[in-house]
Amino acid sequence: MTPCPCGSGRSFDGCCGPILAGAPAPTAEALMRSRYTAFVRRDLDHVERTHAPEIRDDFNRGEAERVADEAEWQRLDVVRANEEGDAATVEFLIHFRRDGKDLRHHERATFRREGGEWFYVQGDVNPKGEPRRVVKVGRNEPCPCGSGKKFKTCCGAA
Amino acid sequence: MDPHFSCTACGKCCHGWLPLTLKDAVTHAGRFPLAMMWTPVRTNAKSYELATTLGATVRLPSRKMVAVLIMPTAYLPSSFPCPELQDDGLCGIHAEKPSRCRTMPFYPYREEKDQADLLIPRKGWQCDVSAAAPVVYRNHTILDRTDFDRERQELLDQAPVMRSYVEYVLKYMPWILNDLAAMAAKPTGGNLFTSLSSFLTATRRPDAAALAAAQAPLMQTMAERTRDDPALRDYHRNYAGWAKEMESLARRHTG
Repeated sequence: MTPCPCGSGRSFDGCCGPILAGAPAPTAEALMRSRYTAFVRRDLDHVERTHAPEIRDDFNRGEAERVADEAEWQRLDVVRANEEGDAATVEFLIHFRRDGKDLRHHERATFRREGGEWFYVQGDVNPKGEPRRVVKVGRNEPCPCGSGKKFKTCCGAA
Repeated sequence: MDPHFSCTACGKCCHGWLPLTLKDAVTHAGRFPLAMMWTPVRTNAKSYELATTLGATVRLPSRKMVAVLIMPTAYLPSSFPCPELQDDGLCGIHAEKPSRCRTMPFYPYREEKDQADLLIPRKGWQCDVSAAAPVVYRNHTILDRTDFDRERQELLDQAPVMRSYVEYVLKYMPWILNDLAAMAAKPTGGNLFTSLSSFLTATRRPDAAALAAAQAPLMQTMAERTRDDPALRDYHRNYAGWAKEMESLARRHTG
């Protein structure tokens, strides 16, 4: 068996192979993995057709072909994948060598499902962690502890 | 004393990078290997205001603002003569040469009143600045402003295109911000280059395939001419890579 370049541990034919051949990816993560495999196999048609329509014209195919040619692909790590209905994010790391340097591409990519097919919509490169949310509670607002009292007379009492 | 200046056709300024207006870059795409040059201009620079008009304003990771000029550039190592420079030191395409060459030594990316130092010949240049040469600049005003005004106008006309290109690059190659920040932090500034392929993709030019087809053999030739010089390693790598990109772009739209 040919192991799948995406590193799933499965065979190419049982993993990214069918997706590259045109079968819909069952999950956003599967699509992301298949797009990595497409770079490894220099199958840029797959990368292009799985771009969401609104960004397809932004795809610099010439540059992508050059990257696929010049990079020595080492490994894909999927850090986390979240799927909710027809929207998903997949955060991943790609380890590769180029121009004699070990490089790493870190991206949090957004995907959208349309007509049963997943598409790549957008990516944040070197994403920051989830922003920490700090909510200031007004003195006269209900106390967030659930007591029903005003904040200033409950947990917010001086 | 008002500065005198006259060109002696020494050919010294006909070497290395040549920033072109977009119009000239397109006209001469069969002559010059093209790349997009980015030059950050700091807020305290004299030409900052103008740079925000001709280029884009970008917020750096430090939250400081910087203006960035984007120039389509004939991308040649500083030791390489312009391909049109003849053995007699004259220009092979004098009648149709780019605006940038006509306007020399003035530079419309800077304010008209801030041109005086450009009239001092750089090291090795043989410009005639003696009393025998005509006065060309008086009271911070260029006396024959035809070429300067034309080049400036072309820069103003192309500014919206350059701004949309900057947006594209910041969206798809956001790491460029770190490079811009590093250059902006240095008093001497700096330049970086992005590919013509990214510009052609971003701007959706209908003539992209034709331009790419004109560029591919030029990039190929330059890759060969820079192959054996270790000092030109980066040039070689860029030419070789861009040759591939241009071939791909040319195939894509004609196939």
